Amino acid sequence: MNRYERWAAAAAALMLVAGAAIFLYAPTDYLQGPVQRIFYLHVSSAIAAYGCFAVVLVGGIIYLRTESVIADRFARAGALVGVVFTTVTLVMGMLWAKPIWGSFWTWDARLTSTLVLWIIYAGYLLVRRLSDPGRQAARLAAVVGIFGFIDVPVVHFSVTWWRTQHPGPIIVNDALPAQMLTTFFLTMACTLVLAAVMVWVRYRIETLTDERQHIAEAVPVVAAREPEPVP
Amino acid sequence: MNPFRVALAVARKDIRSEWRTREMVPALAQFIVLALLIGNFGFHIDARNAPAIAPGILWLALVFAGLVAFGRTFAAEREQASLEAMLMTPASPVAIFAGKAIAASLLLVICEAVLLPALTLFFGTPFTGDVVAAVLLATVGMAALGVMFAAIVARVRARELLLPLLTLPLWIPFIVAGGQAVQSAMGLPGSYDQAIGLLIDFDILFVVLTSLAARFVLEE
Amino acid sequence: MSLLVGNGLTHWFGRELALEGVDLVIDTGEHMAVLGDNGAGKTTLLRILATVLRPTSGQLEIAGLNAFRERRRLRHHVGYVAHATGLYPALTAAENLEFFCDLQDVSRTRVEEALDAVGLTRVARRRAGELSRGMQQRLSIARAILHEPRLLILDEPDASLGDDAAELLTQVMKDKTVVLATHDHALANRLCPRTLVLRHGRSHGTATRLRVVR
Repeated sequence: MNRYERWAAAAAALMLVAGAAIFLYAPTDYLQGPVQRIFYLHVSSAIAAYGCFAVVLVGGIIYLRTESVIADRFARAGALVGVVFTTVTLVMGMLWAKPIWGSFWTWDARLTSTLVLWIIYAGYLLVRRLSDPGRQAARLAAVVGIFGFIDVPVVHFSVTWWRTQHPGPIIVNDALPAQMLTTFFLTMACTLVLAAVMVWVRYRIETLTDERQHIAEAVPVVAAREPEPVP
Repeated sequence: MNPFRVALAVARKDIRSEWRTREMVPALAQFIVLALLIGNFGFHIDARNAPAIAPGILWLALVFAGLVAFGRTFAAEREQASLEAMLMTPASPVAIFAGKAIAASLLLVICEAVLLPALTLFFGTPFTGDVVAAVLLATVGMAALGVMFAAIVARVRARELLLPLLTLPLWIPFIVAGGQAVQSAMGLPGSYDQAIGLLIDFDILFVVLTSLAARFVLEE
Repeated sequence: MSLLVGNGLTHWFGRELALEGVDLVIDTGEHMAVLGDNGAGKTTLLRILATVLRPTSGQLEIAGLNAFRERRRLRHHVGYVAHATGLYPALTAAENLEFFCDLQDVSRTRVEEALDAVGLTRVARRRAGELSRGMQQRLSIARAILHEPRLLILDEPDASLGDDAAELLTQVMKDKTVVLATHDHALANRLCPRTLVLRHGRSHGTATRLRVVR
């Protein structure tokens, strides 16, 4: 087993531990029933996704300033893993919403901004996939990633503000008993480890892809030399 | 090198080109007519609910028209490799962006100038300075973002798909605040002043950000 | 004095190697031709020299400045005529040039002079889209010389020009440092004392008065 496989196995094992805690340790919620257990992974995924997109943001900013290929590779890795976790968040959110609220979707601030998040970074991935690889693709994507990251809180804020203009139903209260809290923190920690491992593996894949495309850190030429004329 | 002169030169060139070819006018006219038709036959509009529905029709038409207008703004440059020629000059990328944003906004403003009276005519919604101000303020921010994303997708394949995908999430705050502002101006509950304040904040935020991004997006 | 020094210029388009380790030195006032078959890398090399394209690796110095870091400052020293004309078809020839004058921050009197230099004064008021390919090519050249650059980079300018190509180009190239890519060996010999040959992205050296025997 190489080290990537070892870490991946460890991360998977941790998720199984979290799963055990979710189903065996955490108590059933009095109001919502067993469906509430989705919450642990749902919120953890959301946090992991934001973490990944923060990597995209930082990687993008560093790339724009220094053209560091490493920063760009982390950004690409973060975007892909982030979209995966956002998808998980959205799907789990919808599965949770249906039994609790009666519909799969409401246009509240959190759901709307999570959907926007997904669309933006799906767009980021498409921009990369559809442009010729190289500096320009990296630069354009970095700009998209930065704007996307800033947009999410702006959208969240707009929708929250809009709701104050049109008051609607209040959402479920978040107070948690101790056992649930522990389970939540455990799940979140395991999910973050999983996300970090996934980003790391993906970074390696991006590095290999770059090498095939001959994209590397710029190597300065040591000395200028005069060309030899053809006799 | 005076950036205002450059921006005006670029705006004038785009407007002149569009005026002479009139390529976009049919597409934009289509949107406006369709929006009005669908508004009438798709919804059951009467004097009571017109102020609730009309702003939706307005924004729908504007968003589609905006995507067309901004989509085209860099398409022409790409076809003729003229963007490269522009970048060979000392003209600053921000000024080029500003010029294109001005030209594309003008097209949108013309659409608005047709749509708003049309909505008043067909659905009886009020046509006041408040409504106009809200729409114009939203146009500024949407233009800055639209031009930037148009420049980004100009270098990428499948631009017809990518432009809406990238632009709409960034336009949502404007549609939310602008929609609320127009609704309030048309008599529905909600704070007009807060909405306008938000629009101004968003305008400032995104105009500054897109100006900073201009040189990264345009340069090779 | 060397106006342009290129070292190890290499460019990859994805996994395709377009240019491999090209070195060249061009002195002020020199006229150099770049010869090579289609796909040899001529256009890629010219775009790099014109600072339009940044190579995957390699160094380029123009007028002693690092060409990539000082691109803004160098731009007004360089005029570039590409394959595509980059003109606005709905605008007249004069309006096209006026627009670029505004962008270059150059007096509009240059428009007349440039049109005259390429022999297009007659069609100044005609729309660029209605001009023949040869005239469009000339207009493109006119645009490149509006700001009176010291270095002129021409990518197959003779392609659409016709019989008086040599005359026109000689006039335009006077007193400037020029890099000219072409297929036409005879034209290259006539206009440029030095020639660089590219084959599959690699430079086969430069020669003076290159005679190609077929």
